[in-house]
Amino acid sequence: MKIIFRLVLAAALVGLGVWMWFVLFPSPEKVIRKRLVGLARTVSFSTNEGNLTRLAGAQNLGFFFSTNVEVNIDVPGHERHVFVGRGEIIQAALAARSAVAGLTVKFPDINITVAPDKQSAVADLTVEARVSGQQDLIVQEMKFTLQKTDGQWLVTHIETVRTLS
Amino acid sequence: MPRLPNWLRIALVGRNPKVTLVRAAVLGVLCIVAYKSALLHIRVEGISMLPTYQDGSAHFVNRLAYLRHEPKRGDVVGIRLAGPHVMYMKRIIGLPGETIAFVNGRVLINGEVLDEPYEKYNCDWNLPPVKLAADEYYVVGDNRTMPPEYHTKGVASRDRILGKFLL
Repeated sequence: MKIIFRLVLAAALVGLGVWMWFVLFPSPEKVIRKRLVGLARTVSFSTNEGNLTRLAGAQNLGFFFSTNVEVNIDVPGHERHVFVGRGEIIQAALAARSAVAGLTVKFPDINITVAPDKQSAVADLTVEARVSGQQDLIVQEMKFTLQKTDGQWLVTHIETVRTLS
Repeated sequence: MPRLPNWLRIALVGRNPKVTLVRAAVLGVLCIVAYKSALLHIRVEGISMLPTYQDGSAHFVNRLAYLRHEPKRGDVVGIRLAGPHVMYMKRIIGLPGETIAFVNGRVLINGEVLDEPYEKYNCDWNLPPVKLAADEYYVVGDNRTMPPEYHTKGVASRDRILGKFLL
């Protein structure tokens, strides 16, 4: 009985150790996924937010992108938009916050491919957005390229993916 | 605690509670496996499949529908984006190798007019011919009342087709 107890205890300790290892040293995929979920949360804003909160939200968005980021939005039926640099993204976020009452963004599917050197990664994801007061759900497949800079995964390039060509 | 009548006890837990528990567990596992691997529960958002499918209606996608045969013309299928949680609901009108065009709202398959009984609204689309490759399907919604540039449609590769919608 004593041996069984010791074996169970040893197994529990090994399990705890493995769990701690994954918590303390998460894989790049896990870190990137968490970061992208955070990005979706930062892009979103609600109708009851004050001006200062909205301004802070737009400024916080900058921390997710590299200084020379390029965002290329090409959706059929709409004008093509290209944003270059962190500043333009913050400006666009501020413009969106003043143009619409609220926005909820989610990334329900995220597929991450990390490069063998673990310094860059590509995330193919679905963007699901809902503008307050509008019934239609906006969905778009997008490709995010990320680079590890000073220990942080920063988005360097975003482009729309044509699901149906 | 009052003892249950025998008939009620049998109705609730069976003659042998242990066997009933095993049966319930097996059934539960089968339901979870079927739900996760065979059926996807979805809710329609938007008007692109009107009048066949209403905005807000709930349906299932059969992920095993194309295990034994390839998708057919007229099938309403789920087209995945980056994953299975969000998908386009579209009807297949063009099969691999065919050439698809829209002329005055009518669909032409290799130059022949396609009969589409499911399309109830007027359509005036004119779109140039598109030649499909060996693993490509042309998909479109049933509601073509809007200008073509505002309607999500086009060529879907076979690997994007998740399954067939169950009515």
